[in-house]
Amino acid sequence: MAERLSFYLERNSPLHRLNPTTKLVVAFTLILVAFLGRGLFLPSLLFLLILLPLSFVGQVGREFLRTTLNLLLPLFAFLFVMQSLFYPGGKTVLFGFWIFAVKLEGVRFAFLTATRVLVMVSSFLLLLLTTHPGVLLLDLTQRGLPASVAYILASTLQIIPQMQAKAATILDAQRSRGLDTSGSLGRRIRALLPLVGPLVFGSLVDVEERAIAIEARGFRSSGPKTSLIEIEDRPLERALRWLCLLALILAVGSWWLWP
Amino acid sequence: MAVIEIQHLTYTYPTMDHPALREVSLAVEAGEFVAIIGPNGAGKSTLCYTLAGFIPHFFKGELRGEVRVAGQDIRRVRLEDWVLKVGLVFQNPFNQISGAKFTVYEEIAFGLENIGVPREEMRRRVEEVMALTGITDLANRSPYALSGGQQQRVALASILVMQPEVLVLDEPTSQLDPIGSREVFQVIRRLAHQGVTIIMAEHKVEWIAEYADRVIALADGEMIASGKPAEVLTDPRLPEYGIGISRYTAVARRAAEEGLWPPQRRLPVTLDEAVAGFRAVEEAYAHTR
Repeated sequence: MAERLSFYLERNSPLHRLNPTTKLVVAFTLILVAFLGRGLFLPSLLFLLILLPLSFVGQVGREFLRTTLNLLLPLFAFLFVMQSLFYPGGKTVLFGFWIFAVKLEGVRFAFLTATRVLVMVSSFLLLLLTTHPGVLLLDLTQRGLPASVAYILASTLQIIPQMQAKAATILDAQRSRGLDTSGSLGRRIRALLPLVGPLVFGSLVDVEERAIAIEARGFRSSGPKTSLIEIEDRPLERALRWLCLLALILAVGSWWLWP
Repeated sequence: MAVIEIQHLTYTYPTMDHPALREVSLAVEAGEFVAIIGPNGAGKSTLCYTLAGFIPHFFKGELRGEVRVAGQDIRRVRLEDWVLKVGLVFQNPFNQISGAKFTVYEEIAFGLENIGVPREEMRRRVEEVMALTGITDLANRSPYALSGGQQQRVALASILVMQPEVLVLDEPTSQLDPIGSREVFQVIRRLAHQGVTIIMAEHKVEWIAEYADRVIALADGEMIASGKPAEVLTDPRLPEYGIGISRYTAVARRAAEEGLWPPQRRLPVTLDEAVAGFRAVEEAYAHTR
């Protein structure tokens, strides 16, 4: 069974030691600044000067780059081809071939959009690579996220691989009784039905038992709760979070300052 | 003083026509280890759920009669706090993993976090209970990446750590091998000696014979026998009700049919009793020769 449930990689880096909320605030700030701030190169600079170096501080640089590229390269290729050729406001033709013409406005638009998406995806990726999901949820719970919401998020992370394993078991069981899962599309869809039934009904039964299990562990106990893990939150980090707010105000303010 | 007092308990699940338990009466002293035997569907799990308060607070249905645990009427307790008094370990270990935690250590601590135990004490209790149940080396593993037997130990540890006064166990050794089962029975008996009241539904009669103080037999929702393991487990009616008997009892019963068991001697439930019985037979033969 897969032991790895999320993107998280265990390292002993300053980035790992940061409070999860600080990382969350920084990630959101970077994304908002990338989308709201002005300047063609702003998002790409955010990525190159902040996110990329940070990933190496967090000792996850290789995985960070590899996962980002895997996720985004196909999207970027599509974006550049479509926008440079068909961007509606395109006037300045850079070069043309056959019936197509690549226009400067389209390339600029594609570049800005692509780098904004890059900042969005990579900020979250860096957060997930350096933050244990349990710690992130615990921190959010301590800051007021209802325990039941945190429970739903945490158990979903763990239950998805379990559901996949269960689906594979049911599929094997049906196949061993002669269910044909190969062949045409229609046939494959029909073969899904005997899989979905047991999976869904089995899961409903599991839900009842799991409800009993967490109740038996005092999940709804009326007294105050404690936590096994202590999450650090240094004054410096609080200052950093205020700094993020300032950056956000500046990014929005730039629209008024330089209309 | 009786910790558990049940009088004329009759309970019917909401979707059922027939009661799952009929006129069950039972009193259990503090520190007693009571085993419940019976075929599937006899009402063992239902009785476990009732003591733990899940009946009538989780499964609604109709409950008649009196159920008092630690002096409190089970109908009046608040289930969310009742779990501090009565711990429940049920059959399927997989569904007892909370899903909220990512390591075995955190999983066991989950209950203590919920009831607000301070961090230092939490660590001490978690480590103690992991040593007790033999899972210290699993501390940093994901609770989902374990075998059924390991998960069953984690499920047991997760409830033991909360130190309930009454421990209700519904087939807690179903996924364990003989060595693992013996370890669990030893842990349970030690807890009973410390004053924890134990109610355990179980099929493994050889272990019950050795460890339990009392056995009650259920069949079709009714209590058909109650008493010392040696009495109840040799009750000749057990096979009729579909309840398994110890292999030692089975061998001696067959021997008795052949005239190879001392006529006045009670049938054995443990290996030692069986050996003693056959020794007596051998000696009797030695005299006749």
